[in-house]
Amino acid sequence: MNEQLLAAVSQYGAPALFGIVTIAAIGVPLPITLLLIVAGSMISQGAMNLWWAIGAAGAGSILGDQAGYAIGRWGGPAAVAKIGGLFGKRASLRAAEAKAKAWGGPGIYITRWLLSPLGPWINLASGTARYPWHRFLLWDMLGELTGAVVYIGLGRFFSDRVMALYAVLGDLRHGMLDSWA
Amino acid sequence: MSDTWRRTLAVGLAFVVAITGTFVFAYRAGRQVRHIRTENEPIRAWMSVPFIAHAHHLPASVLFQAIGVQPREPRDRRSVRSLAHDLHRPVPELMAELQRAIDAAAQPPGGHPR
Repeated sequence: MNEQLLAAVSQYGAPALFGIVTIAAIGVPLPITLLLIVAGSMISQGAMNLWWAIGAAGAGSILGDQAGYAIGRWGGPAAVAKIGGLFGKRASLRAAEAKAKAWGGPGIYITRWLLSPLGPWINLASGTARYPWHRFLLWDMLGELTGAVVYIGLGRFFSDRVMALYAVLGDLRHGMLDSWA
Repeated sequence: MSDTWRRTLAVGLAFVVAITGTFVFAYRAGRQVRHIRTENEPIRAWMSVPFIAHAHHLPASVLFQAIGVQPREPRDRRSVRSLAHDLHRPVPELMAELQRAIDAAAQPPGGHPR
């Protein structure tokens, strides 16, 4: 499926990027970092507009994150457990709840882009913990825009070495996630 | 040793540690960048022909010609898999053909590799 999503972004550009990042932000495990790097490479090739790409990636992720927060806040424990179980991440969810309480706003910011695999679980956990929505929105917007700018920018700079860059970023992220856990 | 000296020493040590850390991280980042720059970009089935051409610094027309495809106007962004489907050919075969065209462009007849 990942290959089809990458092909969709490569072929249809920003609208495809928007749809995919929205779904990923809700909790579906998709290679968003690679998609953003590919988008950056396409910008460098003149096949996508920089502002459209940042706008689509930022808006899509924020929308998905808000949906996750809303499920956590108003869906109740049953809905949260269902989503956790759906993607086989009950343990991640429990760990995220503890981290969300300990880290607060900066935790939300950092899990938008640097530790993004934890992002969807922090969204649910923030909603469950009734973290104030306006603060969640602020940190979320800051983090998602940072992520869009950083990864699209890297993709633009290393536009001819997308897979190598993704491999290096993956290694870095694994190291950071290990130290976070 | 007075408190002022101790404080000055601590600040000095912290400064040295910070400078050393910056150099170590800069060196490691530089090595990673060099690694990225020298790595050969593999062909994947999701990539479009212009995308592959860009990664290998070739005109897309060279690769389209190599696989016998007349590109759609204004931009043909079909993936390799989609092209293989349209051409009724296996994906690995098309990828191998693209790789051969890239290798041939990197090593012109009678010349040295780029």
